[in-house]
Amino acid sequence: MSTIVIGLSMGLLLFLLAAGLTLIFGMLRVINFAHGSLYMLGAYCAYQIVQTTGSFWLGLLVAPFLAAAIGALMERVALRPVYARDHVYQLLLTFGFILVIDEAVRLFWGLEYKQIAPPDLFSEPVAILGSQVPTYRLFIIGFGALIAAGLFFMLERSRYGMVIRAASGDPEMVQTLGISVSRIRTFVFAFGSGLAALGGVVAAPLLPIELGMGFSVIIDCFIVVVIGGLGNIRGAVLGALLIGMTRALGYTYAPSWVEFLTFVLLIATLVLRPEGLFSRKGRAA
Amino acid sequence: MNRLRTTILGLACATSFGAAAMLPAHADEPDAFKIGAVISFSGPYGIIGEGMKRGAELAIEHRGGTVLGKPIEVTWEDSETKPQPAVQKASRLLANGAHMIFGAVSSASTVALQGLTDQRKVPLLVTISADDRITRPNGSRYTFRTSNTLGMEMRMALEFTKARGLKKIYGVGADYAVTREGWDFYRAEAEKMGVEIVGIDYPPLGNRDYSVIIDKISKTDAEGVILVVTGSDGVTFLKQAGQAGLGKDKLLFGPVLQDELLAAAVGPAAIGANSGVRYHFSYDSPANRKFVEAYRAKYGEWPNSFAGEAYDGMSWFLDVVDGTKSWDKEKWVDAFAGSTRENSVEGTKVMRACDHQAMQVGLWGVVEKGEAPLPELTMKITDVFQPEALFPPCAE
Repeated sequence: MSTIVIGLSMGLLLFLLAAGLTLIFGMLRVINFAHGSLYMLGAYCAYQIVQTTGSFWLGLLVAPFLAAAIGALMERVALRPVYARDHVYQLLLTFGFILVIDEAVRLFWGLEYKQIAPPDLFSEPVAILGSQVPTYRLFIIGFGALIAAGLFFMLERSRYGMVIRAASGDPEMVQTLGISVSRIRTFVFAFGSGLAALGGVVAAPLLPIELGMGFSVIIDCFIVVVIGGLGNIRGAVLGALLIGMTRALGYTYAPSWVEFLTFVLLIATLVLRPEGLFSRKGRAA
Repeated sequence: MNRLRTTILGLACATSFGAAAMLPAHADEPDAFKIGAVISFSGPYGIIGEGMKRGAELAIEHRGGTVLGKPIEVTWEDSETKPQPAVQKASRLLANGAHMIFGAVSSASTVALQGLTDQRKVPLLVTISADDRITRPNGSRYTFRTSNTLGMEMRMALEFTKARGLKKIYGVGADYAVTREGWDFYRAEAEKMGVEIVGIDYPPLGNRDYSVIIDKISKTDAEGVILVVTGSDGVTFLKQAGQAGLGKDKLLFGPVLQDELLAAAVGPAAIGANSGVRYHFSYDSPANRKFVEAYRAKYGEWPNSFAGEAYDGMSWFLDVVDGTKSWDKEKWVDAFAGSTRENSVEGTKVMRACDHQAMQVGLWGVVEKGEAPLPELTMKITDVFQPEALFPPCAE
């Protein structure tokens, strides 16, 4: 049972890391290679806020907005001129963002590891069915579920979500209705960037904050997004939970096979159901 | 008369040839002693390069910036923690006349550099890479390591297990060849001592979530957990173990688990973690006191392991070169092999002629809360293991 709790926390953390990537791809059809760098930037910004104010919660609130502002700038200045061109330009551009963000982080914060402790509220573990589960893990489960539900309702049930989906599916028609598609695209990219940073802030108390942290996470994000279905928020949640549970059960009962099983799942998805295990026909978000 | 003229001309020619034969020794004497440094300033071990640079520069400064009566010129190159750039950059440095290569950081890069320096017959000074294969009996003639080996560090972990009387151990080792070999050695030797191995996990390098492994360990009756991981992997494990309270009833230790840099990245959860330490500023020796004082005066902080090891290795090598009074690299190599450094920062070090590995004491410490001016989390050296217990004879 405790393995399930751990699997849930692993899955929902993965979802938080991958949500921004799937949103940007789903709405803009841009594969944002810089997602990992924005995640890292979120962690570093949160570190700076915690160092200055002593408040993790302020970091959780402010760092995503800072990353969103940077994301908006990236979209407005660099991505917008290349939407009409081949996808390769977007890939190269987002790859360029990685180099720029990484170098900026190195200049501002240097190479030393940084660290954030979980808030005092989560300093002690709780006993659940014979296991000592860190309370911060329980926070990740709750917070991840909240963000997943919020994203789902925003995109699927709100008027704004409807406009975003319409702008993604038929931008010309939305433009003729007097809605600025450019602004929607900027908003979506900024929102996705903010989500990447949010993942970075939530992960920061579990990991060392370091320059290469974005690179290692991007592979997991792509696995989640491919299994869940590119651009599918509901799929991203289920894909992340599937990976989290596979890893939790795998590390418990067959640790040597965990990575193998994860990649078999990825390859099987690409071969048998390339649109993702949890995608529905015609779904945009 | 003609015979006399011929004789004089002959003598003149012979003298000229003789002089010419003698001249190159002076004419070829370079204007400077060139060191090609290829170390990590970026990549996974990018954090290490700056400390190494500072330590090596201080070693050069302490000898007035000269060796063999010539100024020392160092060219610093970034290996990017990858073998290919390391070899490319070292090749360029050698083409520009480097008299020795200093580096690299990752063992893979150092092994790659060995092929190059052996081929060019140029000394390679290693002060951080720990793979045992870098210095093996009848191995590279031109490679010298003045720092620890992983085998030595695994033996320190074994000595620690013995000293603390631990009888049940759980192992966690990063999943790559060197770590697995290290673990296999530890396991075999520990079992000979009557220690029971209650479990082992090999998470991948760069693993970000240890929660399942931590949960598994907490449900065993292991008294100690040996972590054969380092860098960010060790930091991640200790952070997550701290949140689950694993260290409350199990002793967490590892051969290269912690130092002040890594403890700062873990935070208070690092307190109580035990680790081998490659060098420590608190080690009491006259040379170390002098080095630490100079380092703090220059940089305003305590030297880390990388700085201490680089300072020690570079000082030793340059002293040996100076002692030969020759620009013949073969003489440097012959002199370094088998040399003894009485005034090393870690006491006496002996460079074994059989494998070019410096025999030295092994330091072991525990992370504690530091009081100013010490770092907030500092290593307290608890054990100093003697070289005889850490280095098997070359024949083994």
